[in-house]
Amino acid sequence: MSRAYIDDVSAERLALLQEQNLELSRLVAELRNEAALRTQFLSNISHDLRTPLTAIITHGEILRDGILGELTLRQKDSVGGIIGGGRQLLDMIGEILTYARGAAHQLTLTRTEFSIASAVEQVCTLNESLVAKKKLDLTVNIEEGLPPLYADRDKIAHILGNLLGNAIDFTLPGGRVWITCSRGAPTERGHVLLIEVGDTGIGIAPEHHDLVFREFAQVDASASRQHHGTGLGLAIARKFVELHDGRLWVESSRGKGSRFFFTIPVRSAP
Amino acid sequence: MLPHILLVEDNALVIDALTMLLEETGHRVSAATTLAQAQRVMSEESPDVVLLDLTLGGEDGLSLMPSVNATRGTRPIVVALTGHDDPETHARCIAAGCRTVLVKPIAAMKLKGQLAEWLGERAAF
Ligand SMILES: Nc1ncnc2c1ncn2[C@@H]1O[C@H](COP(=O)(O)OP(=O)(O)O)[C@@H](O)[C@H]1O
Ligand SMILES: [Mg+2]
Repeated sequence: MSRAYIDDVSAERLALLQEQNLELSRLVAELRNEAALRTQFLSNISHDLRTPLTAIITHGEILRDGILGELTLRQKDSVGGIIGGGRQLLDMIGEILTYARGAAHQLTLTRTEFSIASAVEQVCTLNESLVAKKKLDLTVNIEEGLPPLYADRDKIAHILGNLLGNAIDFTLPGGRVWITCSRGAPTERGHVLLIEVGDTGIGIAPEHHDLVFREFAQVDASASRQHHGTGLGLAIARKFVELHDGRLWVESSRGKGSRFFFTIPVRSAP
Repeated sequence: MLPHILLVEDNALVIDALTMLLEETGHRVSAATTLAQAQRVMSEESPDVVLLDLTLGGEDGLSLMPSVNATRGTRPIVVALTGHDDPETHARCIAAGCRTVLVKPIAAMKLKGQLAEWLGERAAF
């Protein structure tokens, strides 16, 4: 082969490569743009959905609270249903908004010092009536003498709330649900708190362990499913844990209950 | 005379709902859907409490605060209304001079109770 021929071929290849590079960066830019658009869309739509819902719930409460005159018990129950449904929808919209912010890297941590026990207690109190309604046995076990956390309290409570909410939802009446806080194995960066939210519910097959942390993913996504959610709970929980430099994972198999674990590095307040 | 509440909010459905709640619990209500309208009501009628939505179409509700803070005589108590109570928004509202931030939808009985408290303070002045 002549030298000239080889040069020709190289030049041709180079040109091709350059062209492909250009095409690739164009594609990457397009994808980024699409992700930003999706985030913006989710954020706008959740704002807009919230407004009429606010009106619905306020009118419901005006009726329920007897501000326009006392209702019968049955009427109160019915209006209570409207309010309950509205509030559930509002929570879901809130999750979508939170997710959209996370996807747009708009989430920051507001750290304060608090005990994990107080956050656990807050979340348990919020779920008290659900636990009672399903006749579940909820136990909390917190190791003695744990150091306080210097972390974002709202976000830690949000993580616990999402995990506990799932544990309650995916466990049959009469089952057990627990939260355990202890010292985790120290990492090279120092001490960590290990928090477990476990249940004796339906469990998750190992092949779905990655899937459940993905946004909008649900193991049973059929329309007839019992559980109604956005599929964002675990994606948000993982995001919040990672913002704290912790880890969130699951140990479970089908029919054997689930154990979700997360770690939060212990930092001291400045 | 009934305590006067200025509701600054751009959504008609929300205005209707809150107006009903406030009127039925013994208040007089003026609604403003823009900052310009809100400013007019403030200068003409000096309301006792302003319930201020943070997003008014394209306007930032908090831009009303400088004129509130410049009010001669008794200033109205301003309460921010928002759909999403993140810590940054909260801090921004307090720094601007709002009394507190309420997340929509505000529970009817809670709003009634808080208003009674704030109006009581003002009456004690
Ligand atoms: N404790 C649990 N037990 C069994 N399955 C679970 C549990 N937690 C989560 N899952 C599965 O993971 C999916 C995703 O959960 P999540 O992200 O919280 O979204 P959502 O609760 O809105 O469906 C659930 O739909 C369910 O299939
Ligand atoms: Mg969930």
